Amino acid sequence: MTHRLAEVHMQGPRPFAPRVSGFTQPFWRALDAGRLLSTRCMSCGQQSFPPRKLCRACWSTSVEWIELGSTGRLYSFTRIHVAPQAFRSDAPYAIGIIDLENGPRLMCRLIGEVLPAQMDASVKMLVLRYEDGPLFGATLNLKQDGGAV
Amino acid sequence: MTRAAILGYAAVPVFAYQRLAGDAAILEHELASSVVLEAMTMSGLGREDVDGVVVAHPGDHTRQGYFHTFLTAYLGIRARASVIQVLGNGMTGGHCFDQALLQVCSGQSQCTLAVGAHFETAVPTSTHLDYSIRLTGDVDFQSIFGAVPIAWYAMDAQRYLYEFGVSRATLASIALKNREHAMRNPLAQYRSSLSLDEVLNARPIVEPLGLYEVPGRADGAAALVIVSEDLAKASGRPYVLVRSRGFEHEGLHQMSDQYCDALNYDTLRQASRRALLKAKLSLQDMGTFQLYAPCTVVEALASEALGLFARGHGADAAQGGATRFDGPSPINTCGGCLSRGHPPEVSPLYDVIEACTQLLGRASERQVARHEFALTASELGKYNAALVHVLQAPQ
Repeated sequence: MTHRLAEVHMQGPRPFAPRVSGFTQPFWRALDAGRLLSTRCMSCGQQSFPPRKLCRACWSTSVEWIELGSTGRLYSFTRIHVAPQAFRSDAPYAIGIIDLENGPRLMCRLIGEVLPAQMDASVKMLVLRYEDGPLFGATLNLKQDGGAV
Repeated sequence: MTRAAILGYAAVPVFAYQRLAGDAAILEHELASSVVLEAMTMSGLGREDVDGVVVAHPGDHTRQGYFHTFLTAYLGIRARASVIQVLGNGMTGGHCFDQALLQVCSGQSQCTLAVGAHFETAVPTSTHLDYSIRLTGDVDFQSIFGAVPIAWYAMDAQRYLYEFGVSRATLASIALKNREHAMRNPLAQYRSSLSLDEVLNARPIVEPLGLYEVPGRADGAAALVIVSEDLAKASGRPYVLVRSRGFEHEGLHQMSDQYCDALNYDTLRQASRRALLKAKLSLQDMGTFQLYAPCTVVEALASEALGLFARGHGADAAQGGATRFDGPSPINTCGGCLSRGHPPEVSPLYDVIEACTQLLGRASERQVARHEFALTASELGKYNAALVHVLQAPQ
């Protein structure tokens, strides 16, 4: 099943842009097209994030690209007030640890307000569209009344 | 294997040395050499007795490269065992101590210096953080979001408060306890009194942690003279014996990509069990615990991982006074990273010095009741690894 992620337009270029290797290129290309991918070990089945050429569970190098779920749960988060120079114009900004439905766990930028009471709340993954390329992010999955799911 | 002992030690008060200018300006090797001389004087040994030098990597904000050979040359030491510089994130000072021990225990050396100087305070915080986001996390998939090192601990704090129903005030009490210890420690950076209101109302740094629950910027220098037990005994001077060490790395860099409990700091549990087993001792035998804990929540989680307190009760215990210097489980009697101060590459050396100061009964106003054993721990990442040493003051 294909999940096309919602997009959020961000100002300017990415503050600290990732490097792209021949191996990770499919991830960034898919993200640019609104899809979140990673790798799964073809020997033991473990999913990884970030994508890996080598399964850290069994050292198999037989890995395949899979599409990850577009929703998850917020395991934890923080809002950073004292920021690196590259991120100063964004401060304060929030980052969080997300457990995706059916795994894996990842860390990313959180968009929108997040409160301590919303720990374990449902989140949906996003494409953060910067001038020079995409990053991935998440936001709380809100009900129609504005409360967290 | 030969047993190793600490025959001399010295440190300068934690301070913003790199910001000093004009006549007061001082360079990292000048400060490092001053603590070496003081530690050597305490040991009663001379320059010709030093077989090896292990230097804690001074961080990226010192101009002098290859600091280990430069400092060894500045001190005029001809070394026969080894001259090396070690790096291991927050564990750098711990590795420095550990590698010096290994030189002596392996018989390569009768006397090795463990020394370090960390300077960073003249570098603006935002510039420093541009560098430090590259240290914790994956630079292409995590650092891209601006995750500063203490942000990872802050996420532990947020989860800890939520999962165990701990109040902000209870967690903040760890900062107050450490400040009380630091007020009694002449080596401490922050020695003025601190109130709970000040901690709770401080400007936020990485939520839920505010200014007093994270470490300030700091410079420092510390040195230890590590010798064989035979040499220590022959000296006729007081010394501290190193009984055992334990290490564990969990094979993770910052966080797992699988669903798991991120708050159990299992590496510390494993490393401390290993060290205590080897020393044939138990936690109850330890008189003090010097734990690398850059944030309040880290001290709570580390105390729980050691087994001093039940899961979710480390902060409660601190609030109740259990970890004060006059409590049953004294933790960070020097004031810890929060108030003793945190020059990261050498903080673990300061912790070993505090354990020795306590064991030798020289801690004055913060002296713990007479005890024979102490435990020190340093870490890297988010306790992705832990290094533990058990020390003993021969009675």
